[in-house]
Amino acid sequence: MLDMIIIDGLSFSLPLFVMAIGGIYSERSGITNLALEGFQGFGAFTGAFAAVYLSGIFGASSDVPYYASFIFAVIGGGMFALLHALLCVKFKADQVVSGVVMNILAMASTSFLTKRINTSFFGNTANKFMLGASSRITLPGLSDIPVIGAVFKDIYPFEIMILVVAAVMWYVLYRTVYGMRLRACGDNPHSADAAGINVYAVRTVAVFISGCLSGIAGMSFAYSVSANFSPDIYLGYGYLSIAALIFGNWNILPALFACLIFGFARSGGSAVIQELGLPSSYNDLVRILPYVLTLLLLVFFSRHNRSPRALGQIYDKGQR
Amino acid sequence: MSEPIVEFRHITKRFPGIVANDDVSLSIMKGEIFAVLGENGAGKSTLVSMLFGMYEPDGGEIWVRGKKEHISSPRYADSLSIGMVHQHFRLVSNYTVAENIVLGLEPVRKLFGIIPYVDMKKANRDIAELSERYGLKVNPEDVIEDLNVATRQRVEILKMLYREAEILIFDEPTAVLTPQEIESFLKILEGLRAGGKTIILITHKLREIKAVADRCAIMNRGKLISVLDVKTASTDEMAKMMVGHDISFTTERKPAHFGDVVLDVQNLTVRNHAGFEAVKSVSFQIHAGEVFAVAGVSGNGQNELADSIAGLVKPSGGKVILNGHDITDSSVREHIQAGVAYIPEDRHNVGLVLDFTLRGNFPLRLYDTPKYSRKSLINYAEFTAQSEKLTAAYDIRSARGGETIAREMSGGNQQKAIIAREIDMKTPLIIFMQPTRGLDAGAVMNIHKHIVAERDRGAAVLLISLDLDEIFDCADTVAVIYSGSINKISPASEITTDETGLYMMGVKTA
Repeated sequence: MLDMIIIDGLSFSLPLFVMAIGGIYSERSGITNLALEGFQGFGAFTGAFAAVYLSGIFGASSDVPYYASFIFAVIGGGMFALLHALLCVKFKADQVVSGVVMNILAMASTSFLTKRINTSFFGNTANKFMLGASSRITLPGLSDIPVIGAVFKDIYPFEIMILVVAAVMWYVLYRTVYGMRLRACGDNPHSADAAGINVYAVRTVAVFISGCLSGIAGMSFAYSVSANFSPDIYLGYGYLSIAALIFGNWNILPALFACLIFGFARSGGSAVIQELGLPSSYNDLVRILPYVLTLLLLVFFSRHNRSPRALGQIYDKGQR
Repeated sequence: MSEPIVEFRHITKRFPGIVANDDVSLSIMKGEIFAVLGENGAGKSTLVSMLFGMYEPDGGEIWVRGKKEHISSPRYADSLSIGMVHQHFRLVSNYTVAENIVLGLEPVRKLFGIIPYVDMKKANRDIAELSERYGLKVNPEDVIEDLNVATRQRVEILKMLYREAEILIFDEPTAVLTPQEIESFLKILEGLRAGGKTIILITHKLREIKAVADRCAIMNRGKLISVLDVKTASTDEMAKMMVGHDISFTTERKPAHFGDVVLDVQNLTVRNHAGFEAVKSVSFQIHAGEVFAVAGVSGNGQNELADSIAGLVKPSGGKVILNGHDITDSSVREHIQAGVAYIPEDRHNVGLVLDFTLRGNFPLRLYDTPKYSRKSLINYAEFTAQSEKLTAAYDIRSARGGETIAREMSGGNQQKAIIAREIDMKTPLIIFMQPTRGLDAGAVMNIHKHIVAERDRGAAVLLISLDLDEIFDCADTVAVIYSGSINKISPASEITTDETGLYMMGVKTA
């Protein structure tokens, strides 16, 4: 049972984590990002479409559609995010409003497009792209270690992908010139501007990255939680990752910790329900656990957390 | 000091409603400290901002090193080795000193020869060396938000030096500094001049100009009045040109007539945000018709003292009694009703709603009284009337009168608006917290007159200031706050400035 908790917990936490990193990029650059939910959904939509389309070419047993779907999810999420960047950076729209609009737009447009594409490309009328669950990998040797071995058992390939991406994103944010400038833009865009930094460009790229990373997350959920792409992808995981990044005080490693708590709360709850032999409808009850936990954690931690100083402020060069 | 490094030729700049610079021509020599003197709104900041590329002139030319330049952006100014320290510092608060300085010009190294990263070790070394060379004491690894204003200013200076700026512009650099900090700042300027830099100093403080500047341009209402050699010109002469008429530096005052005790503060203790006791068991009394001035070095509990008496912060111990009523635990609204007027230090966050119009800012404290609203409906006609009355009476200048957004007004006029609003309430107690910070001599004089007038009206005045000249210009009673305690209370006539300074530093205690 402990194995199950760890395996399921990780496969839920890590996509959440990569999305939270995306959120951190956007928010540390100064752009409030409530649109993660929409980004991950739109990314999953483009990725799932690519997967279904490519499996028609390469055959269902090929690995190509699986990996290609992530590339397309990254592109789709990123492109969709550029719309948020356009509104917030170029047109100086209210970032909260834009974020909410992005979510609604993603949900509505992908539901519509999924149906249309199914009708015209694949000749059915379903409102989902069937993907099937991802294959899993077990690392020999390591997985035989008692208890901790479960970490290396039945891993989805995307989990490894996410860890690699996370390491790179951590390095970029905290060690490179771009990362340093990005964090400066979120604290005091005027000083960044005075230092010769193009605040608009830095922020646009940051929002684009948040879309790309959310795309990975959405695709991961599509391959694990639901085994298809349907409007069910909008279950609020985006908001959960926002909670994780706030709880993590807008830093990557603490956000990972928060995501793990959420993931294990969920998988632990499911395990308990199974163990007690409760009807499966109680699983829905368990699904609210991460959210309840979020509320509690925010009550206790948000007092000590500090958002980036310029977060949500529209930057206008001319204003003092 | 031979050839001109910067020349303004017939510069004209207009803003909606005003001509900020009217046909200004002057040249600045290499290696000199050139001061630009003028009142708020005289156009000195505008003029120099054009050199830094923040605005472009509507007419005229700017020549740098003998070449005509179109300075279209600060970045271009940067490429001409022109640097500027703004009045509001441009620093990233959660970054270290070194990170702030190298931002935009980061030293990069490559991990394994391919993966680039910002080499903070080198940055820290470079900054330490640079600060050593110019005698600017900073620790490259300190985080900005932990530093005081004077140190932050040194960081701004290092930022320019790191960029190898040759022409350094300072906009009102001493407005936020204590007397001791000003001393060391002026030494820094002299050091920079010795290092061959050209310095342009925008200020309205004559004493500083006299102390360090070589030449001085005087501006009044957008026009260049004169360029003087500082050594040969007298301060009176400069002041006269700046204001356009004679001014006397000491406020004329009648002898004080103390009435009954208005404010009685007993063992007041206030904790700051961190839970630290910023004000420790402070007791004093202020009478009707008395200016009670609290001197002290910045950060010794002045803010907490003022905020707690005004009701913005709840004291953790002691009592505040106004005209016999205990107002210690009253709300801000009840403080207003009891008769406390407050001119806060933080004009932007506490004093004004920056995005409201000037007209909307005046009734902020009394909008719920029958004068301004009936049955929850606002009487805008009364707003307008009040706005017209106060802007005229207090000479508050703005581009569109009462319709001007407060944010767009100059600092001096914002402060005038706050003072007008508070004084107009005619309360028994009025608290002035740093009322003239960043204002020019004319405005300072004017505000001092108002402070004394309030006293003569019979109000109890609590004046808290870092500026000893201001304290001695206005006070009937001088108190000194040091580390949260008042360690001296004396009639103003019985204590000297020097002695007060010793109490301020905590060297002497009563």
